[in-house]
Amino acid sequence: MKEKLFDAIIGLSRDEALRVTDELLQSKLKPEEILDIGREAMQIIGKRFETGEYFLPELMVSGDILSAIADKVKPFLEGTTKAKKIGKVVIGTVAGDIHDIAKDIVVFMLDINGFEVIDLGVDVPVEKFVEAVQEHQTKIVGLSGFLTLAIEPMRDTISALKGAGMSDVKVMIGGGPINELVCEDVGADGWGANAMDAVSIANKWAGASQ
Amino acid sequence: MKDQKDTTQPTQAELDYQAREKRVWDAIRLEKPDRVPIVCYDEYFSLKQGGVTPADAYYDVNRASKVFAEEVVKFNWDMVSLFGNLPGSVGEIIGLTSNKWAGFNLKDNQEYQFVEKEYMLADEYDQFLKDPSDFVLRKMWPRMATGLEPFGSFPSFLMLSHAYTPIAELAIFAGQPEVREMLEKLISIGEKMNQYLAGLDHTVEILKEKGQPVFLEVLAHAPFDWISDYFRGIKGTMLDMYYQPDKLKAAIDLITPQMIEYTIKTALEMDAKTVSIPLHRGADPFMSNEQYAEFYWPSLKELLLALIEADITPSPYWEGSYTNRLEFLAELPPGKIWGHFDVIDIYKAREMIGDTMCFWGNVPGQILISGTPEQTSDYVKELIDIFGDTGGLIVDGAVGIPKEAKIENVIAMSETVFEYGVY
Repeated sequence: MKEKLFDAIIGLSRDEALRVTDELLQSKLKPEEILDIGREAMQIIGKRFETGEYFLPELMVSGDILSAIADKVKPFLEGTTKAKKIGKVVIGTVAGDIHDIAKDIVVFMLDINGFEVIDLGVDVPVEKFVEAVQEHQTKIVGLSGFLTLAIEPMRDTISALKGAGMSDVKVMIGGGPINELVCEDVGADGWGANAMDAVSIANKWAGASQ
Repeated sequence: MKDQKDTTQPTQAELDYQAREKRVWDAIRLEKPDRVPIVCYDEYFSLKQGGVTPADAYYDVNRASKVFAEEVVKFNWDMVSLFGNLPGSVGEIIGLTSNKWAGFNLKDNQEYQFVEKEYMLADEYDQFLKDPSDFVLRKMWPRMATGLEPFGSFPSFLMLSHAYTPIAELAIFAGQPEVREMLEKLISIGEKMNQYLAGLDHTVEILKEKGQPVFLEVLAHAPFDWISDYFRGIKGTMLDMYYQPDKLKAAIDLITPQMIEYTIKTALEMDAKTVSIPLHRGADPFMSNEQYAEFYWPSLKELLLALIEADITPSPYWEGSYTNRLEFLAELPPGKIWGHFDVIDIYKAREMIGDTMCFWGNVPGQILISGTPEQTSDYVKELIDIFGDTGGLIVDGAVGIPKEAKIENVIAMSETVFEYGVY
């Protein structure tokens, strides 16, 4: 039965996944275990995305299935249990840019790879990044931008973070207008061409800070 | 008489204009021009050189027009787009919430953006398919602008077809205070828009007098993008591909012939030889080639072929990365399409579509913004080396000329074309 749920999620069969979830809940399987199956399935989805077998629709659909499963499971959870996270990342699309698709993919991939992600949304002012980093005590920040207008706010955000006595905070940037040249230009610590790059940079930095 | 102009001889500006147009069209037809043409999407770069921000452009079209015409000609490009425009006062009057723009709810130096969301909900396909015009007027417009909310209480179109409609339902509707207010706003935006368009027309005229051709932007969209961008949002359409693929396809099938008819009619009315088609959701990362073949390509190809059939040159902007889609692009007829490229393996592009489609682009924005004149020049030379033998190359930035570009890089890009691009 557990395999059925796993297969339904990676096979992107929403109705089947929800039906099996109901059965598992009735069979008194621990709700935490159902969520664990969901997490394991999402890792496979992430792998398939990395290898180019799955694309954006599959990420969207699997995310949708998982949140529907979580809605079913929630009433059965006693207290809140959280999986152990390997690090915290504050992320957002910088001031003036309201694009969220690429950022959302990065959030998704960081999340399924064990990071706690504090997603500040789009058009995020410089101060909000600084406050979030202070509040959540994180050492890793991700800045996203789709338009070339995002480059200056990235520079501003990075210098504000480094200037606010947070020189140990590392900042990665990503999005359409970003590459090595821009990374150096704005003073970021790393850049990624895709969500997998973001995960490997975050892994590296999280490992180093522990 | 000595002081009378000789009207039989063309002026230098007229000669420049003709030479530039010919150069561009030769390249589009894959016939070798005298040198590689340079045609730039320049929404805000030239304006910035003259101290005009996007906010100024949205609120003072006459000033933007004057500065643009003064600045853009300094680069000696063969053809240019018109500066980025959105009539800010129109958006304010009508209470537009589906866009954000400088001078209103973005900073002065930030270009306008579309606020994407589900303007049509997942369970509303049937209403749309039954009567799309009715859906747009009564459901969608009220969701896009507060000033258009009264359309939500408009009677159903079909029920407005009896003989007494004009002296009954329509008059009753028009008599409501909130409807009257909306109608006054519509009159007001019409006046503002007329002033705005006059300003844009004036820009084209001034540029023509200076010998500078402008490509008019008659716009069309891939039918999939139309649904995804404007109706369902990216998440909505991607879920629809799995949860209700038949309805998504039915919506695409419904709008494709209407898009074709409307685009051709508009292009003919405006005497536009090209139609720009900015493409969004078909780029490599968005879907697999199988999904592209199933959901995206057939209706786009139908649109492209219909335009060609009507003797109009489609100019798709393949925005994002398109290397994986080259096999589709290769299906198109040679010498009929002017393709603007953003991120692509230029060697593969030469191999797979170099003899099919004029390659327009693609100096990376990263180089123009953060690179050096040498890096810019090297990239342009590489483009010319790869595509030069076909004649089908036109140079521009990958995303046009971003306003953040360094001027020395833009000059290096242009001068490299002028010197190295002579055939």
